[in-house]
Amino acid sequence: MNAVQAFKLTKQFDSLVAVNGIDLEIKKGELFSLLGPNGAGKTTVIRMLCCLLKPTKGTASVLGYDVVKTPFAVKRLIGVSPQETILSERLNCWENLALIGKVHGLSSNQVRRRSQELLETMGLIERARDQVRKFSGGMRRRLSIAMALVSDPQVLFLDEPTLGLDPQARRAIWDYIAGLKGKKTILLTTHYMEEADSLSDRIGIIDEGRVAALGTSQELKTNTFGMRNMVVSTEGLTADVIGDLHSKYSTVAVTRGQLKISHKDLDFKQIVDYLHSRGVTVYSAALEQPTLEDVFIQITGKKLRD
Amino acid sequence: MKFWQIGKRNLKEISRDPVLLGFLLGMPVAFMLVFIAAAGGAQAGPIALSIVDEDRSQNSSAFIEYIGSVDAIKLNEPIYNEESQARKDLQDGRISFYLLIPSGFQQAQQVHQPINLELVYKEADPVTGLQLKPIIEAVGSQFLGVAPPLNVELKGTTSIIKNPAVNFYFPGIAVYGFMILISTAAGLIAGDREKGFLSRMFTTPARPWDFILGYALPFIPVLIVSALVYLGVGMGLGLTIVGNLGYVFLVFFLIGLCAIGIGMIVGSLVKNESQTAISWIFIVPVAMISGAWFTVDRMPSAVKSIAGALPFIHAIDASRAVLNGSPFSAILLDLYWLGGWAVVLFAAGIMLFRRTMVT
Repeated sequence: MNAVQAFKLTKQFDSLVAVNGIDLEIKKGELFSLLGPNGAGKTTVIRMLCCLLKPTKGTASVLGYDVVKTPFAVKRLIGVSPQETILSERLNCWENLALIGKVHGLSSNQVRRRSQELLETMGLIERARDQVRKFSGGMRRRLSIAMALVSDPQVLFLDEPTLGLDPQARRAIWDYIAGLKGKKTILLTTHYMEEADSLSDRIGIIDEGRVAALGTSQELKTNTFGMRNMVVSTEGLTADVIGDLHSKYSTVAVTRGQLKISHKDLDFKQIVDYLHSRGVTVYSAALEQPTLEDVFIQITGKKLRD
Repeated sequence: MKFWQIGKRNLKEISRDPVLLGFLLGMPVAFMLVFIAAAGGAQAGPIALSIVDEDRSQNSSAFIEYIGSVDAIKLNEPIYNEESQARKDLQDGRISFYLLIPSGFQQAQQVHQPINLELVYKEADPVTGLQLKPIIEAVGSQFLGVAPPLNVELKGTTSIIKNPAVNFYFPGIAVYGFMILISTAAGLIAGDREKGFLSRMFTTPARPWDFILGYALPFIPVLIVSALVYLGVGMGLGLTIVGNLGYVFLVFFLIGLCAIGIGMIVGSLVKNESQTAISWIFIVPVAMISGAWFTVDRMPSAVKSIAGALPFIHAIDASRAVLNGSPFSAILLDLYWLGGWAVVLFAAGIMLFRRTMVT
């Protein structure tokens, strides 16, 4: 059984089709990222999976429970950190965590233990007794994620967990999420491609309410760009060598000693060894990786942060 | 017990917000002071009253003298012998209203027959007349030792009531004060909806009734403190409590629950905090027809039936009756009515709230 399953999931607001027939299968323990520009429908997908929005068409289930027919069974299993860090402003960290934990049916002892653990991990323990309305954006976000985790949910929905944070705070949250990999099923939405790239087992690129591409980061890159590029700084290239390379690889370009080779299955060592064997000096050599943004632009024809 | 957790959170949110807390607890005091002062309570100047004495008997003279001795009333000179002259003066604007003591006053008193006093006022200026009516009723009962036909409930109790105006106005103003809980309670829900807090809570396994009970819960202490403040301020202003104070408290508690229940319904229907202002469309007219500010005796029967179907007039009547000495049995029907409404309102609130949990 998949942790999260969606079939032809569709949400229409009046004339706007926010989510247009999305199919998703997220395995237990998988960290799945929905990557897409603002307004692509990421949050709408999450809201349907959390039983906050009723799908116009299609079905979705969490650990086998239908989100429309058995919402309360779903809600017992999930933890959610919404896009806006919504906290109870005049409560302190302990109280915010206790509210969510106890509504999920945890005992006072369990809540205390879980909260202690989470507050320490999130670096909030020092300020744990302060009302949260005085907190900075980063602290609020960390507490919000802790609130999603306090009930020890099996499936975690993190909607833009690092939105609006400075790079340092973002890094801390990435590290924490990376630590959860394999332990929880996580569906996160983001429009930071490094975030999706570094954290996810699989990525779904979503655009205008549709899944435009789906796979591991590597799969997306190789499937999208059939070719791989290699750039070599050399000295002593001869026309002979270049001619030889032309016969082996799809494209070969030379500009002032800089050699650029594109081909479907490039073997780094093979090329370097070949150049050495022909007496060419190699100063540096690198395989050029396309970024997820390249993938996104290639697939959707637009920039990610549109 | 999820509602208990939500309730605890809401109580903390309210009790840690000094502005909201000040509003909730300061409002009853301010209200009571302003309204009782405005309504001719303890500090108000006397009302000038003219009298037509058609009976011209020993008893009627004694009655006039008795009325003249009441602090809240200043008698105009001279006393009219004929109503026609008084009516002319009223039309000419020389006087605002007059009390007609009909011929047969002394005789009726002697044989213990019903006595009809008429308080005639200009229709353009009904307020003072309406203020005066309960005073005359109380004074009349006191003087005659029996209830006048206008207000049977005062029977046998009037001699103890120090300030009839306060006893008349207090219950209405107190109930109006509780009606304000409608917008405050609705505001708490609507504010949390607007901020997205409810949305977050909707991803937890809490059920609709957990939310309704959890949002109603923190208003229970507010309600209790308000009732105590109202009674305290009322007594400070000269409220006389003849009946059982506990029953008055019970009536206030039940009407407060009804108000919170309506607040839950409004809070379930509106999208944001500013929309809760819509509850005033309900509060003000209903307060008016329920007799929160003035007597509803002269209202058309259709309006009276609407008011009678709603809980507020029952709370005002019942608390006034108990304050003036009525026993528990006399307000039992009102209590059933109030309790029934509270149950219905909360059930409706839960049903409406359920619909808002999924968009």
